[in-house]
Amino acid sequence: MEVPSQLLRGTNGSVSGDVRVLMAKTSLDGHWRGINVVSRALREAGFEVILAGMVTADTIAKVAIDEDVDLIGLNVGGRVEVVERILDVLAANDVKVPVFAGGTIPHYASDKLEARGVECFPPGSDLDDIVAAARRLTNQ
Amino acid sequence: MASGKKYETVSGIEVKASYGPDDIPDDYAAAVAALPGEAPYLRGAHREGYRSKPWRIFQLSGFGNPEDEAERIRFLLSKGATGFIMEHDRMTGDHLYDPDHPEVVARREDVGINGAVIMSAHDYELALEGIDQKGTYAHAGGGVAQHAPFCLAGYWNVARRRGIDLKDLNGTGQSDLFLTYVGCPPLQQIPPADALKINCDIVEFTNKAVPNWVPISMAAYNGADSGLNAYQELAALMAANVDHLDEVKRRGNVPLESLAHALGGVSFRVAMDFFEDIAKLRVARKMWHDLLVKRYGITDERALRLRVHIVTAGSAMTYQEPINNIVRGTIMGMAAVLGGVQSMGISAYDEALSVPSEQAHQQSVRIQQILMEETGIARVADPLGGSYFLEALSADLEAKAWEYFDEIQEQGGFIAALENGFIHQTASANQVELEAKMITGERSIVGVNYSPSDHDPFGIDGFAGSADAWDKAMIRLGELRSGRDSALAMAKLHELESICRDGGNVMAGVFEAVGADASVGEIGDVFREVYGSWKFPVSF
Repeated sequence: MEVPSQLLRGTNGSVSGDVRVLMAKTSLDGHWRGINVVSRALREAGFEVILAGMVTADTIAKVAIDEDVDLIGLNVGGRVEVVERILDVLAANDVKVPVFAGGTIPHYASDKLEARGVECFPPGSDLDDIVAAARRLTNQ
Repeated sequence: MASGKKYETVSGIEVKASYGPDDIPDDYAAAVAALPGEAPYLRGAHREGYRSKPWRIFQLSGFGNPEDEAERIRFLLSKGATGFIMEHDRMTGDHLYDPDHPEVVARREDVGINGAVIMSAHDYELALEGIDQKGTYAHAGGGVAQHAPFCLAGYWNVARRRGIDLKDLNGTGQSDLFLTYVGCPPLQQIPPADALKINCDIVEFTNKAVPNWVPISMAAYNGADSGLNAYQELAALMAANVDHLDEVKRRGNVPLESLAHALGGVSFRVAMDFFEDIAKLRVARKMWHDLLVKRYGITDERALRLRVHIVTAGSAMTYQEPINNIVRGTIMGMAAVLGGVQSMGISAYDEALSVPSEQAHQQSVRIQQILMEETGIARVADPLGGSYFLEALSADLEAKAWEYFDEIQEQGGFIAALENGFIHQTASANQVELEAKMITGERSIVGVNYSPSDHDPFGIDGFAGSADAWDKAMIRLGELRSGRDSALAMAKLHELESICRDGGNVMAGVFEAVGADASVGEIGDVFREVYGSWKFPVSF
């Protein structure tokens, strides 16, 4: 069913079935504007969004396994080393789910993350581009 | 200008192509005719404007270790800043966690990225090394309510150790319910009603012990940068102060005039809607005056003059082509000067990437100095007063602000509107609407959705700060625990717990505990035990 979308330009409601995105914040930073808007856009596109909030790497891995998620979105408000630890913990737990990231990520940090296959969306990114990446990463 | 754009302000007030004398409503004429420095202060707090009181150059500063913070503050002061705002690490500060708390250890590399790690009175000494406390106006940190008593206690205890009479200190607290519950809510946070109680304790303690200090200062900035529009920002700030005024008045320990004066130092955001932001600052003074006169019968002129600090919108600073942010900062700073302010902080051009580099920080000070010294815009108080458009917009904005104020009162007041999520729902809806306007092109941001570009010819990247903040904090924590009189520290913490449970002044209890070298995490343990934790009231 096509649903009216506030945040997307047109390709709405076309995600088929149960496609789950886990959204988490990497640092203890409660700013919520970015994760709110991105989560809403993903929902408008038909994804099921599981909002984990400010959780540790271990919790992200556990929720990813328990909820059988298809994609992990990280809201980065801190250092790249913390994000790299999350990637390490996911790998150690054999979680082979694609990861993308947004937030205040300087170029030196996004270079490191992209080298590990994490697509980065800095402030000002187009929501359509973020949703398109979510579709691509989940083969939708 | 892109087609399809509506002619309205960011907060949705429709504007005409041109304005004339008939556009100023009759009931606004008296306020417009009153000179700057005359009630209701629409046109300014002081007749002489910036001639008698130049605005304070007041920048947020801090990252990494306490020594890093001291160095940056000294640097900014050497460049002409006329006060300083201490910014502390969010994980250990806002959350009241010591660096060995599991939530911190799990993300230890993040420690120090947004502010300096200050966990004891000794850390405050390090962060204030080489800084004249008696001669410099200070914000001691503690934007988040549960963090505020620790910060004030830390700063004041350093002064006490230096032999300075607390009555000679000038500065401000914050304990801001907007940052705490709307803008950047920590993982764990005491409930709003307990924050209000502690804020009242701070007001009463400060009134006696540190009388030249502004005890708390609501910063509607933090509501606005999370989505509240201009008139909602005005209304919510007034409503937050009403809850404080009512409660302190009910307790009856501080004269009403002193109380109103203490609460009349506030902070707003100035963003990228030039005239609406100018109007907002002018209307804020009038609303404060009218509120105090009508609701509380206050006549003391000192109390009736609202004192305004502004911060230019961090959210207006783009990640793309950050050099353009210097222009944005300048325009927002101009709006602030024209609206009338007592102090100002300009968000740095690298805001969307990191905390400010030294160069970016200096540049923010330079914007203020250029506005003050080179442009001439500060020569005359309220130079735009009487502008047909500006006064009509001010009247519209004020009318809408009182409507939203009434809506907050219908929720049961500001604290109730935080508890039930009313404020957050407003903010969230506006976040979505602003984003949607980016998509339709109704709202343009140059280099982002208008003429977008990924290329930054100036090569500006984030400031990396100090990577060793957590390691060094762990060493200092060990030294603190082994070097202090632990029996005394524990006794003071037990006293604090009794105060929190049985009544008494929490600020006084924290002042004693921090004076006995209790750590920020130990204060936090008491608060968590007694007050429990607030839950963010909306889901998204």
